[in-house]
Amino acid sequence: MTNHWRDIKNADLILINGANPAEAHPVGFQWFMHAKLDPTKGPGRGGGAKIIHCDPRFSRTSAVADIYVRIRTGTDVAYFGGLINYVLQHNLQHATYVAHYTNASFVVKEGYGFHDGLFSGYDPATRTYNPASWAYEKGPDGFALRDMSLQHPRCVFQLLKAHYARYTPEVVSEITGIPVEDFLKIAAVVGEMGRPDKVMTIVYAVGLTHHTTGSQLIRSGAVLQLLLGNMGRPGGGMNAERGHANIQGNTDHAISWEILPGYLAVPLPGDDTIDAYIAKHAPKKLDPHAWNFFGTNYKKFLVSLLKAWYGDHATPANDFAYAYLPKPEGNCSWLSIYDAALRGKMEGIILSGMTATSIGPDSNQVLQALARLKWLVVMDAFPTTSSEFWHAPGMDPTAVQTEVFLLPTTHWIEKDGSFTNSGRWVQWKEQVLPPQGQARHDHWILADLLHRVRDLYQREGGAFADPVLKLTLDYKDPLHPTLDELAQEINGKDLTTGKRLATFAKLKDDGTTSAGDWIYTGSYPEKGNLAKRRNGVQDPAANDPTGMGFYPEWAWSWPLNRRVMYNRASADLDGRPWDPKRPGIVWNGERWVGDVPDYPPTMSPHDPNAWLPFIMTGEGVGRLFSNSLLDGPLPEHYEPMESPIVNPLHPAVSASPVAFLYDRAAGRLDRFGTPDEYPIVATTYRLTEHEHYVTMQIPRLVQLQPEPFVEMPAGLARERGIANGDWVRVRSKRGMIEVRALVTNRAGQLDLGGKKVWQVGIPIHWGFIGVAAEKHPDRAQHWLANALTPFVGDANARTPEFKSFLVQIEKVS
Amino acid sequence: MFTDTSICIGCKACEVACKEWNQLPGNEPEYRNDSFDNTGELDAQNWRHVKFIDRVPEAPMTTGNGQAWLLMSDICKHCQHASCMEVCPTNAIIRTEFDTVYIQPDVCNGCRDCIAACPYGAIGFNPKDGLAHKCTFCYDRLQANMPPACAKACPTQSITFGPLRELHKKADERVATLRAQGYDQAQLYGRDASVYGGLNAFFLLMAEPEVYGLPNARNAVLPRRNNRGGYLGVLVSAALAMVAGIVALRRRGSDTLQDTTPGEGS
Amino acid sequence: MAEHFVHPPHWEAYIVTYFFAAGLAGGCYVLATLLSLTGYPEDREPARLGFLVPFPLVLLCALVLTLDLGRPWLFWHMLVNATPGAGGLNFKYWSPMSVGAWALLLFGVFSFVSFLGALPWARRPGPLAGTAGRAWMIAGALLGLYIASYTGVLLSVSNQPVWSDTWTLGGLFLASGLSGSAALLAWLVRRRAAAGSPATSWQRLLTADGYFALIELLFIVLFFVSVGFAGTLGVAVRGAWLVAWILVLASLVPALAELGGRRGLVHAGSGPLLVLAGVLLMRIAVVISAQM
Ligand SMILES: Nc1nc2c(c(=O)[nH]1)N[C@H]1C(S)=C(S)[C@@H](COP(=O)(O)OP(=O)(O)OC[C@H]3O[C@@H](n4cnc5c(=O)[nH]c(N)nc54)[C@H](O)[C@@H]3O)O[C@H]1N2
Ligand SMILES: Nc1nc2c(c(=O)[nH]1)N[C@H]1C(S)=C(S)[C@@H](COP(=O)(O)OP(=O)(O)OC[C@H]3O[C@@H](n4cnc5c(=O)[nH]c(N)nc54)[C@H](O)[C@@H]3O)O[C@H]1N2
Ligand code: SF4
Ligand code: SF4
Ligand code: SF4
Ligand code: SF4
Ligand code: SF4
Ligand SMILES: [Mo]
Repeated sequence: MTNHWRDIKNADLILINGANPAEAHPVGFQWFMHAKLDPTKGPGRGGGAKIIHCDPRFSRTSAVADIYVRIRTGTDVAYFGGLINYVLQHNLQHATYVAHYTNASFVVKEGYGFHDGLFSGYDPATRTYNPASWAYEKGPDGFALRDMSLQHPRCVFQLLKAHYARYTPEVVSEITGIPVEDFLKIAAVVGEMGRPDKVMTIVYAVGLTHHTTGSQLIRSGAVLQLLLGNMGRPGGGMNAERGHANIQGNTDHAISWEILPGYLAVPLPGDDTIDAYIAKHAPKKLDPHAWNFFGTNYKKFLVSLLKAWYGDHATPANDFAYAYLPKPEGNCSWLSIYDAALRGKMEGIILSGMTATSIGPDSNQVLQALARLKWLVVMDAFPTTSSEFWHAPGMDPTAVQTEVFLLPTTHWIEKDGSFTNSGRWVQWKEQVLPPQGQARHDHWILADLLHRVRDLYQREGGAFADPVLKLTLDYKDPLHPTLDELAQEINGKDLTTGKRLATFAKLKDDGTTSAGDWIYTGSYPEKGNLAKRRNGVQDPAANDPTGMGFYPEWAWSWPLNRRVMYNRASADLDGRPWDPKRPGIVWNGERWVGDVPDYPPTMSPHDPNAWLPFIMTGEGVGRLFSNSLLDGPLPEHYEPMESPIVNPLHPAVSASPVAFLYDRAAGRLDRFGTPDEYPIVATTYRLTEHEHYVTMQIPRLVQLQPEPFVEMPAGLARERGIANGDWVRVRSKRGMIEVRALVTNRAGQLDLGGKKVWQVGIPIHWGFIGVAAEKHPDRAQHWLANALTPFVGDANARTPEFKSFLVQIEKVS
Repeated sequence: MFTDTSICIGCKACEVACKEWNQLPGNEPEYRNDSFDNTGELDAQNWRHVKFIDRVPEAPMTTGNGQAWLLMSDICKHCQHASCMEVCPTNAIIRTEFDTVYIQPDVCNGCRDCIAACPYGAIGFNPKDGLAHKCTFCYDRLQANMPPACAKACPTQSITFGPLRELHKKADERVATLRAQGYDQAQLYGRDASVYGGLNAFFLLMAEPEVYGLPNARNAVLPRRNNRGGYLGVLVSAALAMVAGIVALRRRGSDTLQDTTPGEGS
Repeated sequence: MAEHFVHPPHWEAYIVTYFFAAGLAGGCYVLATLLSLTGYPEDREPARLGFLVPFPLVLLCALVLTLDLGRPWLFWHMLVNATPGAGGLNFKYWSPMSVGAWALLLFGVFSFVSFLGALPWARRPGPLAGTAGRAWMIAGALLGLYIASYTGVLLSVSNQPVWSDTWTLGGLFLASGLSGSAALLAWLVRRRAAAGSPATSWQRLLTADGYFALIELLFIVLFFVSVGFAGTLGVAVRGAWLVAWILVLASLVPALAELGGRRGLVHAGSGPLLVLAGVLLMRIAVVISAQM
């Protein structure tokens, strides 16, 4: 989230796309309700904030929304594109903001183009883009050219306008299935949000990310928010509701293969020295007034990280042990790992707190992949579909040679430590239960494992042992580190004084500081663990002086306890808030006050050398046009890999031209279904009552949702002779499930420019493990929702396309 | 306790919190074919029950308006004039110091008259312990100065707990806002004395009470109303029968008994 | 239109048995009293029989009522307030179940004493002869009337569909209880007739039965009308229950035929049993149909 949960109460309009917060984030959802209940908020003259929910299914979020629209899965770029077009056509953008706080004025190089569904630089052989032509025209000073009048035919603003002119309400309707008049109703309300005294938040989650176009889906929302001037402002922003209680913390600490802690890039082959690495990955300053904070300090963050990991072994002489960092040759995302296993290229896998079999995609193929491992370690509090995969229904245990180890670990409820929520608030929690049975903490198991591997290297030697042997484990008991010690290590310290640092501004690139994750520097300064702070609603007057819900003394949020990112953009050119009722930070003549400023605290807005507002980017402004993604500088609508129609915008390039096709690349058959065989659009989702694949072990929750189902429209059920509660078979090109039919008008039909398409929803929570499965062992054989989903992912992040695929449904007798 | 159904998200946290606090194991899991409801009803194991009233029209629609899928977390209403309490022959049902209606488990003998009486179906019988059970309003928590578990757990603060006067004020404001926004059917249920003298657990509804399975003011009547009619019927019947009995059985003047013969009839 | 959202109390076999037995116990006591007070001297023997019946039935009533409780051994909570610190007796005149518990207890005393007095080897005329005896009988008969009828009121004093939609159940149960009792006594008397008891007692009992059946019919009609007005007639007569009600009505025919002078219909021996079956079936229909 650029903003935070509580901040949603500040909004006038809440646009929810690809998220079902009432069900997946019920506690955070209270802030949506606060906004709705607040008569001073809302479009027009207020009367309560309005909630617009755009989703393939009418869910519990839709039930309390003011406007619900049914959208076809995977088409939100068209929806946001249509809104962008509406705003631009009607001149509803926040003009000052757009000119000064976005890259609308930046002039793009000649040679950039978009034709017939392809951006310039496409190579069909490799299915990749060369983004060289997506760069700015540079002036003689080496900085990007700008035209503040926004008239230059190649300035971003004009390119944007031209690009989205195609997204007329009619086209939007044909792609998304949203009727034109409904779309216009929404556009009218959204259009109001460009006024400085109004603000809208966009909330999204995995309904946008689980697509081959996931990254661009999110960017299309961000572009809209920049146009409306809603980034950086309380009540605004582009807000990702994250997953597991600590998935934000996971990401911050580099759970994704392509980043190091603190969103530093993973070095690639060829990045042989730190300097080469910095030259390639650190953002470059593109405007004289851009601070380019990230790019400028990239090296300090990396060196401090290396000092945290390798301690005294990281010296200026050995380039701070930079060589020890792995430099992966190919993509190592989730899909790539199981693809490699399937190809017999993986020896073993350790699964900790993740059950590969269930989370898919294409569970049957994942089962095959697991069966080709030599060993599999599952660290979990429960048996999972992965620890039991070898005797799963349909598997032949005698044919599986994989040796499976189940290591009982403590559940998060049995340990202390921090959760970082979607709003980046790092909150310390206490242990609720002592470890049960023989369970050991994950971090103790890993420490033990590391020591054993180290002993083996020491005794037997091995190739390139240093990265393992030289790791510092500077804990009281290296075999049993405490999470408190880890938190201190992550915060980092001044190695000359041994004192923990209070800000990452103090980090150095000379090896005198360490920080396990620079964005967390300041969370655990000398004065203590700030994540433990709890000054909240006991005394709102004292704890929330601005009334904007920042509660600066409640826990700690990265970076530097800032609650709203990019908050310099909440104030106008003179440092006054766009909306005095909703100040983010305010220039009081001497300094910025309010939230922790995302800006030098005493830099006057009238200083001729004042930095531009977005300090992290090389441009110093927000990017409407961006060359940092692999699939295009402007979000464009591409159909999901399996789609009921051909892309009306460019039939020849219907789906993403750069999505990586694993099956094809590995010489396996492409397994994408076609609409004639699989005419029904399907998506997958969560239910409030369950958490993924764990709560199938919890009787009280199984009572609430005992059996798997597919939510299907009443019309479709009539067509197929299916009654509510019947068992039905749902088939895709890859597999099938047998579940109950939940017949309802909450799912429905789409009218895609005259073509009628049914759309259904499948909750993900069932499998062959858990209370319900034990009760119905025969039926539970076909309960894995991911048996249906395609083995393909987003062109950038390779997040699987869980949310759009084609199926066929029939009744089972 | 005030339950504002307009902001209920049907998450069932209240149901689970109630079970956790009151150590209710719950019923055997059963798929019920009913929207997202697999709890079914208030009973001895479920003292909170979230109703899902699905009125979503078939055609795609822009306006959910909070009225298409009504979600309502139901509970014993702790009626000012409580039907259950009225009939209970053992006086097991009492009004507590918190003005709540409470079944004393050590007094109840399981006759189930209260179940026949409660117009909200809030009471259930547990065959295992032979007792009638319903929401206790977390009597034990109130005594310890803690809010009821369901109110505490509700993420949207759809369930709020506090002094009735404050809750009434809040509810009045809320319903006024909703009305101003054009929700003409938004209404308070049990806020005033029109149902059962007022409900200590009252509601904000987005449609008429019947839609939620709640008796409207006209139907919200107490069992004792039927005493008068019932006994009057008895009196009429008894009077007629006594006259008839006397007429049939009385000694009739000089009637003799000799003219009929005992034995099998012809 | 009455709308109901209650749950059924699951009053089933035990309760129906109770309602049936209570109707007969009360009814027999009432008839025995009537026979004693207004009948021929020859009716003394039938009256004695009539006083023998209620007490065993009261025992049965107490048994099934107790068994129906979730906690049978706490049956005494009906009478004594067990609320900690409260003490005293429980009596709620507005709760038929509460009044009924006391009435059943008192009726138990009356029927027990009358039972003792009616035993073949009891000394006659016992202490209950004379004015005191008559007063005793009348008091017992009033209780009998109550026992036979309050069960219907008890059903009505609820919020159940059907039950609470009508004021007729008490009257209906009473008429049917009396009808059943008259048939039962007639049958008993006739069986004893060979031993020399006067033939006409049972004939007059059958006449009485005819009248009671007529009253019952009246109340059935009123029941349907009142429930119809409340809008819950459909609940009472849906599915198999319609058949049940037709059978109930059919069971009235022999007794009604009695009034028309068609004694033959009843003389077929099983007539009284048919009446009793109807009495039971009517209670089943009323009690169970509303709870389904
Ligand atoms: N109760 C519960 N809460 C959870 C979890 C859980 O398992 N159970 N899991 C947690 C985790 S890890 C995560 S990642 C989050 C996920 O949180 P959400 O993203 O909110 O969860 P989902 O239900 O997967 O998907 C959200 C919605 O996206 C819709 N959708 C699908 N495709 C599209 C599309 O193309 N466009 C639009 N506009 N909508 C689409 C689906 O119909 C669904 O209603 O939830 C977290 N919270
Ligand atoms: N079709 C489809 N597939 C999906 C999704 C979808 O929307 N549609 N959503 C995807 C998303 S966003 C996610 S996040 C994944 C979720 O997938 P997973 O993360 O695999 O799901 P969980 O069941 O939440 O967690 C896995 C295990 O973690 C264990 N666990 C809990 N605490 C601890 C701990 O402290 N230590 C250890 N070692 N184990 C612990 C639990 O017991 C559980 O077995 O599913 C993905 N798959
Ligand atoms: S499960 Fe935990 S993290 Fe998820 S909404 Fe509930 S309280 Fe928040
Ligand atoms: S809702 Fe029912 S159980 Fe609760 S107090 Fe009212 S009558 Fe009694
Ligand atoms: S079941 Fe218990 S609480 Fe209910 S009426 Fe009977 S004694 Fe009272
Ligand atoms: S008040 Fe307590 S007992 Fe009643 S429903 Fe809520 S949690 Fe359950
Ligand atoms: S906890 Fe609150 S929001 Fe959730 S179902 Fe219960 S009342 Fe509704
Ligand atoms: Mo997730």
